[in-house]
Amino acid sequence: MIPTRSSMEGRLVRLRAREPQDEAAFHVWFNDYAVTEFLAIRYPVSHLAERSMLDSEPALRHERAMFSVETLGDGVLIGNCELRVPGAENRCGNVGIAIGHTGYRDRGYGTDTMRTLSRFGFTMMNLHRIELTVDATNARARHVYRTVGFVEEGLLRDHRFISGAYRDTVVMSILRNEFQEDPL
Amino acid sequence: MTSIFEGTLIRLRAREPEDAPLLYQWFNDPEVTEHLAMRYPLSMKSEREFVESVSSPGYAHAGFAVETLAESRLIGGVDLINIRPECRCASLGIAIGDKSFWDGGYGTDTMRTACHFGFAMMNLHRIELEVYANNERARHVYEKVGFVLEGCRRQALYKYGRYQDVLVMSLLEGELRLDHRP
Repeated sequence: MIPTRSSMEGRLVRLRAREPQDEAAFHVWFNDYAVTEFLAIRYPVSHLAERSMLDSEPALRHERAMFSVETLGDGVLIGNCELRVPGAENRCGNVGIAIGHTGYRDRGYGTDTMRTLSRFGFTMMNLHRIELTVDATNARARHVYRTVGFVEEGLLRDHRFISGAYRDTVVMSILRNEFQEDPL
Repeated sequence: MTSIFEGTLIRLRAREPEDAPLLYQWFNDPEVTEHLAMRYPLSMKSEREFVESVSSPGYAHAGFAVETLAESRLIGGVDLINIRPECRCASLGIAIGDKSFWDGGYGTDTMRTACHFGFAMMNLHRIELEVYANNERARHVYEKVGFVLEGCRRQALYKYGRYQDVLVMSLLEGELRLDHRP
């Protein structure tokens, strides 16, 4: 059965493949400490590095499916997200997500992106589990993940050193049978 | 608990470069290749290159040498290939190259061990294979371990001056028959 709604679309966002022309927005976001504070990125990113990353990006596949996130209404690029599946046997995907466009924070776009990404992971990539790690001080993100159904299952103490201090990292996951479609 | 690599007669192990001479011998033997896709003579060089390219089994190509439990004698090979991780489906290829081990249950035990490995360790949902329509012995083995005939690719094979049908069979998760009744 083919769903009536595109598998790439939620209520607010659409996931699509990344394109080289996304570089300008990525360069702004990933040099913005308000965005990178909670990401693995800690050094400034050059246009050259960002460009060559996008130019050399292989086609999306089970091992790594990365997307740009745009608004459904007017196609504004607002972030990116990905699922990495390091070992197909375990059917476990690792989430990376960033809503880089700060004008779209706290308005449900992150939640809708996570729901759409998780649904794609379960229904199109046939995953059994999706997991992520989040900075313990990132209350907004933890709230989004809990809303989508992710369960906090562990705490990595003093896991990241950033801005002069160690921070804890929370491990969260959702299993396939726990995932609830967003009622329209 | 017995090893996941072992059946009742055989053991699966990774292929080694030292296996190349025996493989070279088998796959240049028309009696062995009659029911296989091979049709051209193989050079020792290409056989060595093949063995080296498949000596690290993994999800992308889970290829094994088959040896007897009794004397650790190399008798054949089995491969789970073309795996689509989204569909959790693999294609299986098998050959018992040592003719003195034909009709002794070694092929059946190899199929059971390799399919069990595919389901239990690789988390597969479906294993499929193709068998040439006149290969009664192989079909019997596949049916015995639980494979179901699902289709016929008409005249899909041309060999020995004529066309032949190719049968498609598959085994789903939970259908593998591990009992060893004859």
